[in-house]
Amino acid sequence: MRIVEHPILDFKRGRLVRFTFEGRELEGFEGEPIAAALHAAGVRVLRRSAKLHRPRGFFCAIGNCSSCLMVVDGVPNVRVCVEKLRPGIRVERQEGHGELK
Amino acid sequence: MKTADIVIIGGGINGVSIAYNLAVRGCRRVVLLERKTLASGSTGRCGAGVRMQWGTEMNCRLARDSILRFERLNQELEYDGDIEFKQGGYLILAFHQRQWEQFQKNVALQNSLGIPSRLVSPAEARRIVPHLEVGDLIGGTFCPKDGHINPFKATQAYAEAAARLGVEIRKFTETVAIGKDAAGRVQRVTLADGEVIETPVVVNAAGPYSQLVGEMAGVALPVHSERHQILVTEPVAPKQGPMVMSFAHGLYCQQTPHGSFIMGIGDPHEPRGFDTGHSWQFLEDVASKVTTMMPALKEVRVVRQWSGLYNMTPDAQPILGEIPEVPGYFVAVGFSGHGFMLAPMTGVLLAEMILGLAPTMDVSMLNVGRFARGELIREPSVV
Repeated sequence: MRIVEHPILDFKRGRLVRFTFEGRELEGFEGEPIAAALHAAGVRVLRRSAKLHRPRGFFCAIGNCSSCLMVVDGVPNVRVCVEKLRPGIRVERQEGHGELK
Repeated sequence: MKTADIVIIGGGINGVSIAYNLAVRGCRRVVLLERKTLASGSTGRCGAGVRMQWGTEMNCRLARDSILRFERLNQELEYDGDIEFKQGGYLILAFHQRQWEQFQKNVALQNSLGIPSRLVSPAEARRIVPHLEVGDLIGGTFCPKDGHINPFKATQAYAEAAARLGVEIRKFTETVAIGKDAAGRVQRVTLADGEVIETPVVVNAAGPYSQLVGEMAGVALPVHSERHQILVTEPVAPKQGPMVMSFAHGLYCQQTPHGSFIMGIGDPHEPRGFDTGHSWQFLEDVASKVTTMMPALKEVRVVRQWSGLYNMTPDAQPILGEIPEVPGYFVAVGFSGHGFMLAPMTGVLLAEMILGLAPTMDVSMLNVGRFARGELIREPSVV
């Protein structure tokens, strides 16, 4: 789901673009948070925790909580709740601590 | 009135190490006074790197024997936690010829003392730290025994062991005065709430505040404090084994077992004082230098910065021992940024001095009189 109407904010929607999540092709609106596009596509598990490998999902949505750290175009620890969606990006779940190239 | 055989002022790694070493040698009426919490001063703020690679024989011996003790500290102190000793080594870089020549002398000295350090070429440095951009590097030295320890846990390990042996550790207890008898000997300490503890021996292990604790006994210690800033990044998968260090840049950078990088850089213009604030200039300075040396770190985010105080002496070497003018007043101060790594030996040596036992190692050159006599110690390997 996506929030379409909001009492205060006015969402200006970008064009529909394609990106990949775990090799799967998905669609989203350019400029929206990557997490919003994943959520709209039904993706609920964004990464797995470092010690116990438990699933972590969409939580604080303001770039604070580390719950949504993902690998975007090979860069680990990207906070997808505050990272804008660009066409063609490669989004992958992160297992524990990300690996620096 | 409360009495003690020995009162230690300061609950950092050195205070608790001295307390433990006194207790384990049979001295049980020891009171340790800490103004805040254990490791709340310089210990808990330090980079917590430990290295055997020094440039004077005394420092090599002190550091070597301290690391040998750190290696089995969990067992020695019967600690139910873990001090998290990561022995990934130290890679120390040389960027100019004079430094390289000094490093050759250092390694020869270190090897003669059984320290397994070696000279490395730029290519070998890159094999040890593959993300190192060698640039104008001439070479370096590497010692696999060096590493990193959790300073909070090491302090806790000593404190718990000391407490089990009967040492009384009093946190949130500030000392305000040290009293002397007519002959000038230490007689008592007075606490902020007015309580007085009678004691013939006081140990100043107050780290950055050692100067103030010196003044309480009328002793003008030749020390001052100086802020050093540091930062920590988000954790990433293990990438860097050793500490990477450059004396030319005053820079160090280490990855902890948790995965975060800890790094710091010295500022030659830092004023003296007790300021423990921090600045964006530091962030910019350390980030630009570290990412020039190791560009891969550009992708790792900073999560926190803080600062701590070095307690400096004129020769950047500690002052250990009794103050001749005030019998019973001992100091373990002025560690100048390397107090954490020497703490195991500092505890042993101070305990031996206080109890009048034969010293494990001769460190008489570290007494306070060396400054008046002009016998400063020239250590070439300090950050």
